[in-house]
Amino acid sequence: MSAPPGSTGEPYAEWAARLFDPARRHAKPEALRGIRVLDLSVIIFGPATADFLGELGAEVIKVEMPGQGDVTRILGHAGCFWKNVSVAFFPQNHGKYHVGVDMHHADGQALIRKLAARSDVLVENFKPGTTEAKWGLGYRQLREINPRLIYVANTGFGQWGPFAEGRASYDGLAQAVSGLTGISGFEGALPIKSGNYLGDWFGACLAAMGTLAALRWRDHTGEGQFVEMAQCEGLVRALDWTWVYAGLTGRDRAKTGNRDPVFVPSGIYACRDGHVALVAGTDAEFRGLAEALERPDLAADVRFATGGSRRQPAHADALDVLIGTWCATRSRADIEAAARHYGFAAAPVMSARDQYEDPHFRARGSVEELDDQVYGRVVDYGPAPQLSATPPRHKWAGRPVGWHNRHVLQGILGLPDEEIADLERRGIVGRWGDRRGAKPPDDWAGEGHLL
Amino acid sequence: MSGPSGGREARWADWARAAEDPRRAAEKPEALDGLLVLDCAVEHYGGHVLGGFLGELGAEVVKLEPPGGDPARAWGPADVGVRGEGLAYLAEGRNRYYATLDLASTDGQTLFRELAARADVVIEGFAPGQMDVWGIGYRQLEPVNPRLVYVALSTHGQFGPRSEGSGPEYDLIDQALSGLAYITGEPGDVGPEGGPTRVGSWISAYAQAAWGGVATLAALHWRETSGRGQMIDVSGAEALMRYLEYTLLLYHGSREVRERLGGMDIAVSVYTFIPVKDGWAFIAGYTDPNFGAICRIMGRPELAQDPRFRTTLDRTQPDKRAALRDEIARWSVNYTASEILAKVLADPGPGTVVFGPVNRPTQTLAEEHWWERGCFARLDDPIYGALTLAAPAWRMTRTPPRLKVPGRPAGFHTTHVYARHLGLGPARLAELRGRGII
Repeated sequence: MSAPPGSTGEPYAEWAARLFDPARRHAKPEALRGIRVLDLSVIIFGPATADFLGELGAEVIKVEMPGQGDVTRILGHAGCFWKNVSVAFFPQNHGKYHVGVDMHHADGQALIRKLAARSDVLVENFKPGTTEAKWGLGYRQLREINPRLIYVANTGFGQWGPFAEGRASYDGLAQAVSGLTGISGFEGALPIKSGNYLGDWFGACLAAMGTLAALRWRDHTGEGQFVEMAQCEGLVRALDWTWVYAGLTGRDRAKTGNRDPVFVPSGIYACRDGHVALVAGTDAEFRGLAEALERPDLAADVRFATGGSRRQPAHADALDVLIGTWCATRSRADIEAAARHYGFAAAPVMSARDQYEDPHFRARGSVEELDDQVYGRVVDYGPAPQLSATPPRHKWAGRPVGWHNRHVLQGILGLPDEEIADLERRGIVGRWGDRRGAKPPDDWAGEGHLL
Repeated sequence: MSGPSGGREARWADWARAAEDPRRAAEKPEALDGLLVLDCAVEHYGGHVLGGFLGELGAEVVKLEPPGGDPARAWGPADVGVRGEGLAYLAEGRNRYYATLDLASTDGQTLFRELAARADVVIEGFAPGQMDVWGIGYRQLEPVNPRLVYVALSTHGQFGPRSEGSGPEYDLIDQALSGLAYITGEPGDVGPEGGPTRVGSWISAYAQAAWGGVATLAALHWRETSGRGQMIDVSGAEALMRYLEYTLLLYHGSREVRERLGGMDIAVSVYTFIPVKDGWAFIAGYTDPNFGAICRIMGRPELAQDPRFRTTLDRTQPDKRAALRDEIARWSVNYTASEILAKVLADPGPGTVVFGPVNRPTQTLAEEHWWERGCFARLDDPIYGALTLAAPAWRMTRTPPRLKVPGRPAGFHTTHVYARHLGLGPARLAELRGRGII
């Protein structure tokens, strides 16, 4: 076969690996360089929105209460602290500039207004109307000093509507009321939560996308705007054919456990060293699977020959038994190799350890090692999308509360020393308190401050 | 629009509602107006969703299907379809111009190159390298259109040991690789309901589409100053993996593997499902004041002082977490979810309780809140009939997203698309049609 036009003859995989080479991430420009994000938010939904913009090169200033800071600094796995911080804090707080400002105080609010005047994006996730009514930092107030501002407000139920006022929300509630819980897991069994805070993370990702759409509009017109994202509505938007089905039939889609109701056979099967997910969604893939099972006769069996027939519950159940038996005596690697050889889909159900040790994720930098000035060696998930010209990247892990006070207040706002000292004296500006979660690691040698 | 101070006279909720009102979106401009997107995601749901996301925000999205239609049009539940099509495709087929093109043919590739030369964005979800083999991958298109943003979606990504020779993308495979399946479900591996569990929707496709959208719009912003496009690679497995919070860092810091907890939470308690008279509900109150509020609402203020449950750390110990859930369940089974919600909303504080029903989809659809907010749309489409769809998730005051057209049959706009973008008329199209190119 001749080389395709425009190609140099270099194999595609090698070309792609060179194009996206994670080792060169920091050598390339950043898509959002020069965009300043003022992050007033807490926990995950808001901070992750700002974090995703930060990965792409925005300068994110995270504002926290002096002393204690964001609650995820202490919340986490049963009091498990790593270098004086809960590990729960880091994944949504990469490479931010941490400033400790008490927004309850008028002089703290004045500082936030000064920062907002010089920011492109503001992210908050307080209850609707809180920033306006309590602190004078709502969109209606800030747009007067900065009409170019894109103000992003994340909530559970939205800024308005019957559930929006007086009703608090967490990710788990969003999973429940959106219908996600109602279509997940096994019929008749206890309800299960998506193991992660899916509504927070997916909602944050959509909020970042909405922010960037607003930024494109501003690039062309100079106009800022108010953007809101409700966690529940993000999950509602992510339930594929659930709503069309309910609208047409008046019925709820069934919970089908690990079987994808569209692609049969499919499931999660126990094997010798864990679990695998396996799918043979087309007739051709099913023929391949039948070969692998050493049961080529199955492909001709009237119960299994077509997708429509395989999807009948009794037929699908029969296939589950055959596949389950086959998997039970094999390793995950055996099954994955067979899938490649015979042309169906299979993959290990990966645990944290599996991912940590996985050469593929390491080669792609989606699991990456960071050499951090304060926290040392950090191995964590890298950015999700790969961009060839402006790759997203992590520069440093989270920082203690108020770590960058001087950089932000003096370096950006240009406040004189005596004013900062006065704000500190009055507790309006502050750093970490002597408490776990907020303070640096015990072995920190006092290095790494800016200004 | 109100003057500098006039806007503040309205209550915030009323102002926000008026400023965002999705019903008045047609009066306002669109954020991605003027952007041309070629969506050639075939048998690929993440790409299909991404095309819809960009279309909701105002891009002109052209779907290119193989002649005869995208096989994904058949995807959906077994028991009901519309016009012989599956519901999954229609659920996300919105706001697009539907044309056909055989990308596997030489003439089809030539036409595609001409379209890509004037496009801003290309979306594809073929096996890695397939477009390159056809001579229409990023490496061949970039010289033709250096401003092009080219988005490639796949399970394993475009490079890395598992990428080469990988097959079509399935959500279940992505959920497994992402680590989500491992931490979802009941603990242990015993019985049909134990073990790693799938989240019920094709969530990896949505994660991939959201990341694809974030990356595309960031690339477009950079293009404003650089004049250059780029290639974007989004693995569905990695798209979802980035949502796994501290699962990996916990292992790094402590060598502890995060396990499944069913309806419980790893970090906090109370934060779980409880049985109610009419089904299940979710309840949370994990800080001391919020837990105190739960106890007060239950009429058992003394429970907050029970030595087993006094601190957050106590309440999160696995045995106490379960015991506490059972204490609440003994109370909650006596009331319906709406009765408990009324108690929660009537509680004067201190503390805040988060509570709501575990809705089946038809229950969510019966709640007025979502309809008032325009979260759902009921369309009466001349081709597909009555449809209930999820509306765009964002609210934006200046450039609100919108749902315009639910979907169209394969090739519905072929004549329009080739006339508009390539100036092809009926004679040439008839010839191409005769040869099966379109």
